[in-house]
Amino acid sequence: MDKSAYPMFTRRQLMITSAMLAGGAALGGLSKGAAAQVKDMDMWYWGEQELPGLQKYVNDSVAKYTAANVKPMLQDTAVVISQFQTAAAAGNAPDVQYLWNGIYHMESVWLGYVRGLKSLIKPEVLAASNPTLLSHFGGDIYRTGWYPLPMFWCYNKTLFEKAGLDPEAPPKTWDELLVTCDKLKSSGVEALGGGIQDGYWSEWYLTHSLPQQLDSLGEAVELFIGDKDFRDPKYHQHWVKLAELKSKGFLNKDMSSLELYPGIDLVVAGKLGIGQTIGTRLPADSKATGGKIGYMTMPVFGTGKLAATPIVDVQGLGISANAEDPAAAAAFLEFLQSPDQLKAFWEATNWLPSNTTFDSSVIQDPSVRGLWENWGLKPNISNVTNLMPGQFYERAAIPTGQQIVSGAITGEQAGELAANTAKEWKDFNPDMVENYRKWVKDLSSPT
Amino acid sequence: MTPSSRLIPYLYVLPLAALLGFVFGYPLLRIFEFSFKMVRGIDGPWIGFRNYELILGHSLFWESVLHNLQLLLAIPVMVAISLIVAVLLSERVAGWKLYRIIVFVPFVLAIPIIAVVMKRMFQFSGPVNEMLRWMSLDFMALDWIGSSDVALWTVMILIIWRESALGIILFLARLLSLDESMIEAAKIDGANWWQRLWHIILPEMRGVIEFFVVVSVITMLAAVFSYIYIMGGGRGGPGTSTEVVELYIFNALIRSSLPGIASAASVMLFLVTGVLIFLLFRVRRRAEAA
Repeated sequence: MDKSAYPMFTRRQLMITSAMLAGGAALGGLSKGAAAQVKDMDMWYWGEQELPGLQKYVNDSVAKYTAANVKPMLQDTAVVISQFQTAAAAGNAPDVQYLWNGIYHMESVWLGYVRGLKSLIKPEVLAASNPTLLSHFGGDIYRTGWYPLPMFWCYNKTLFEKAGLDPEAPPKTWDELLVTCDKLKSSGVEALGGGIQDGYWSEWYLTHSLPQQLDSLGEAVELFIGDKDFRDPKYHQHWVKLAELKSKGFLNKDMSSLELYPGIDLVVAGKLGIGQTIGTRLPADSKATGGKIGYMTMPVFGTGKLAATPIVDVQGLGISANAEDPAAAAAFLEFLQSPDQLKAFWEATNWLPSNTTFDSSVIQDPSVRGLWENWGLKPNISNVTNLMPGQFYERAAIPTGQQIVSGAITGEQAGELAANTAKEWKDFNPDMVENYRKWVKDLSSPT
Repeated sequence: MTPSSRLIPYLYVLPLAALLGFVFGYPLLRIFEFSFKMVRGIDGPWIGFRNYELILGHSLFWESVLHNLQLLLAIPVMVAISLIVAVLLSERVAGWKLYRIIVFVPFVLAIPIIAVVMKRMFQFSGPVNEMLRWMSLDFMALDWIGSSDVALWTVMILIIWRESALGIILFLARLLSLDESMIEAAKIDGANWWQRLWHIILPEMRGVIEFFVVVSVITMLAAVFSYIYIMGGGRGGPGTSTEVVELYIFNALIRSSLPGIASAASVMLFLVTGVLIFLLFRVRRRAEAA
């Protein structure tokens, strides 16, 4: 073989080349390391469906956030829970996950799919976001609040005026409500109701009425799992009251065949005096009526400590147990609670973020401002129906209201049905009973 | 033919058979497996027949079964309507081809679309009741979808209207393929319209009627979810007055987080439907043999 046909490669050259290659590799590694400083994170969320503008807000926020590369994905309503749980079970859950309140995220907590936030998020940030008591379990908190959903009774001020009622003084007690309904009816309008065909009115009625006889939210859970008894008159009085409204002819006649939102539209359209609604509707409804939609807590009949307390449900965000860097995920959640981000949330959605430090001077509509001051900033409780096992919700919470409104059952029979359903739930879910009982302890602490 | 050449056709169908086995067989096996487990998340402990015991002792399950059985009452009505309309169309009245298209339209439209429209029409203040009141028939202006006593029958009206369209087309196709000479011969022998229908046309249509009945039984037992979901406010309501087994399964899986219960109920529905189909075809085979 003729060696001259090949370039000569001395040992010295070999060492130099090796050193250069090693240096290059090290530099490459360093630059990779530098790139790895910017974490990649996944965020699965929901909410554009109920709060238009949220998707834009999320996209703008992740673009603005420089500490990590957050990749958001808007989830479909039907799979918010199942998609997360399946991914979590496979070890592929996103770092940040949207979490509905109460049992809708607590089941994932019990399955070990969600991290506690007390050690990850600054206490003052966590508290200001109002994750609500329903996110507490075993002494930890599992969500930050994201945006609130105040729930209240609404009424049409114009119809109140026509009926000779003071539009600025809605009824506060049950007796006052009956007088109000009577006057509305006498003036030729249907007094109270909405649409219950899809069942949500039934749920919202429980949201407002059941707490009136309760001293704590833990007491509600004890009812739902059968440790307390719905057959006790104290615990089904709210259904007796609904039956009273029905028997006195105060509910709108087409209530059973209308769905929730067309029912609320009746109040806005001036065809129904009083209804149940949710805060996110208020800006548009107030605008449509020239500020003639009033709001109030449900008139009081009960004697429980929670009676007359405003209801504020809160949607939230949590960190999955699969998050590779929980501290980085927590930093992103804190970023979303920063003053600039709260302002950006308002600008993108025209709705309130869940944070007591939010600068509410940007709210122009007096109704919305009043709602924020009275519902958002004052003591409030969350939606008690978020504590129900799904089986109780479907079998008792929804059907009882529907059947009372259609005249098929009495309030007492509703209590019987609810008690039987609670027993059924225990039979079907023996492994869940202890989790609920532990949750009662968290929920029974001062609200 | 060598043994290896006998195997070749099976090799050709093997990929498709494997694909079908994966798509249908695997989920079916998993459903059977889940029906014996208390599933939380994506798996759970083995609990034997406990899910079946719970379902069979659950009043709502039996209420759902009863509603499915009540829906079977729609089948004779569907058969009768389909027969009458098909026979009338087969007489080739003026514009019969246009009528044929019109009567088939409900079957082409997606169930959610017609159910939503029907739901609006049957609201307490909807067009149906408004028309009845206008005709001074106030006593007939019922709360069609809001009353527990009436709601299931309202759903049945919708099912009859839509599903009869399939019957009409099937029956009409059979009628148009009948041997006209037999009918002509009957006419010459002096058989009137009713006699021709009863003694010639119906016996000739027996096969297609049986087929339609079998399809309808399966529909009523295992394919009315869309009707119930839309008309019953997504919940089989009011109350549980329109709940059927399919919705019971859906609620157990999606709303009660009980995949084990949903699987056990699915297995029962699968077996019952399978047995019914088997029996119906066996009856038909015996009849053909006789």
